[in-house]
Amino acid sequence: MAATMAGVSLSSPRVIFKGPESLQKSQAIRSGPVFMLNQRWTGAVSSGRMVSIRPVQASPDITGKVEESIKSAEEACAGDATSGECVAAWDEVEELSAAASHARDKKKTSDPLEEYRKDNPETDECRTYDN
Amino acid sequence: MAACTVYSTQPLRTNISIPTSSKTHVGFNQKQVVFYTTTKKSSNRRTNSNNRRYLITCGAGDSQTIVIGLAADSGCGKSTFMRRLTSVFGGAAEPPKGGNPDSNTLISDTTTVICLDDYHSLDRTGRKEKGVTALDPRANDFDLMYEQVKAIKEGVSVQKPIYNHVTGLLDPPELIKPPKILVIEGLHPMYDSRVRDLLDFSIYLDISNEVKFAWKIQRDMAERGHSLESIKASIEARKPDFEAYIDPQKQYADAVIEVLPTQLIPDDNEGKILRVRLIQKEGVKYFSPVYLFDDGSTISWIPCGRKLTCSYPGIKFSYGPETYKGNEVSVVEMDGQFDRLDELIYVESHLSNLSSKFYGEVTQQMLKHADFPGSNNGTGLFQTIVGLKIRDLFEQIVASRAETPVGAAKA
Repeated sequence: MAATMAGVSLSSPRVIFKGPESLQKSQAIRSGPVFMLNQRWTGAVSSGRMVSIRPVQASPDITGKVEESIKSAEEACAGDATSGECVAAWDEVEELSAAASHARDKKKTSDPLEEYRKDNPETDECRTYDN
Repeated sequence: MAACTVYSTQPLRTNISIPTSSKTHVGFNQKQVVFYTTTKKSSNRRTNSNNRRYLITCGAGDSQTIVIGLAADSGCGKSTFMRRLTSVFGGAAEPPKGGNPDSNTLISDTTTVICLDDYHSLDRTGRKEKGVTALDPRANDFDLMYEQVKAIKEGVSVQKPIYNHVTGLLDPPELIKPPKILVIEGLHPMYDSRVRDLLDFSIYLDISNEVKFAWKIQRDMAERGHSLESIKASIEARKPDFEAYIDPQKQYADAVIEVLPTQLIPDDNEGKILRVRLIQKEGVKYFSPVYLFDDGSTISWIPCGRKLTCSYPGIKFSYGPETYKGNEVSVVEMDGQFDRLDELIYVESHLSNLSSKFYGEVTQQMLKHADFPGSNNGTGLFQTIVGLKIRDLFEQIVASRAETPVGAAKA
């Protein structure tokens, strides 16, 4: 007897990223010690720099950030294309794009078996037989 | 035979991780022994100025770090260059284990690579507020950069701040111990004259606008949100700051790797074939430029012919003396691409002064990283050659430092 599917919503919940603040709140705090909290920070705090602990993102959504930054750069430049804000906004786009591409590269090269195979091609796990 | 020199140091702004609880303390930091005494004048521990620290540095001639500077705009191949460079010295360079996962530092057995973005004085929000780019010197703390590079060069560990590229914030610092070779890479290694004087060798990666555009398209088109217009707008917006602050560093570099579109294919706009020039400054200590056939003459060479068959568009080399930004230089130029291993080895056997340790070392290094971008053209070739040159420079400096302390002891 086929069950009727009427009334069941098939749409998956979508998370809308509003901005960096909501991003941080919605990310889980990574387990394990990330910062050595007993490390002295006295060397870092000077000339009004803010140093704060915030949750480390396990899988940062850089792509979302890149998209946002492009939109905000286009907005900032809609007014005056040579103003400081416009230039700084596009610089931010560039920085985030670079970070995104590095993240992609890291993901590409993180296969542990391949890493092991590169250094030890003669071990049992890594031998290839051609006949 | 170890040579020891005694320094008395000023208290540094950055902390050395030696506990200061007792009155006299002997601490070990690699090959250094630090005697730290506090005078009895004031029992108030807060006044540090009365403390004199005697730093005795003992080493077998390699106690001083050599510092290499690498300048290039974002997206121009610095990371690839770094990986090739560290590979020439042996060992893979990795981020420091157990530290901040977003650290920009790379550490191998002999080399430490520091990203100069860590010396931003303004984080991303700060820069947005002030309307400055990261290219602007106002966004960077050159005093701290100078102090810390100087300290590392003298064999003192430092706590270096971390600039997190993902969040755009300045993270708590990490400990950097003095390595044999320190590479500082970023936008402004040669901008500040004090930092420039600390560099033993400096390199500038100069990518022409067309090639930069093509590379950024390759990098960013896979990213959602980017379009041709946005990539173009981003490059155009950064151009004024780039030309004002970054580009002028070219004149100070000992080696410039210039990447241009090819001249072999008329009206080529794919940007796949590159023309790469290695511009080497004459008269730099411990650096002998690479040349083709005859040092100082002008040569034009097409290796493809009877002995070597190449596919379209082939390979063209040239070499000659020139003047670049007011300096005497020697330029080796390669236009085209390598398709086969024997092309590479053929070319290598005709270049002179490569500072390679055995025949085919350049080819071997290029093959080792065949998956890196530029492994089949002049960018990979010249980056590898510069890596060998730096190794040669390092060995010469170490050898010369080993001689002088022995001489002083005898006298």
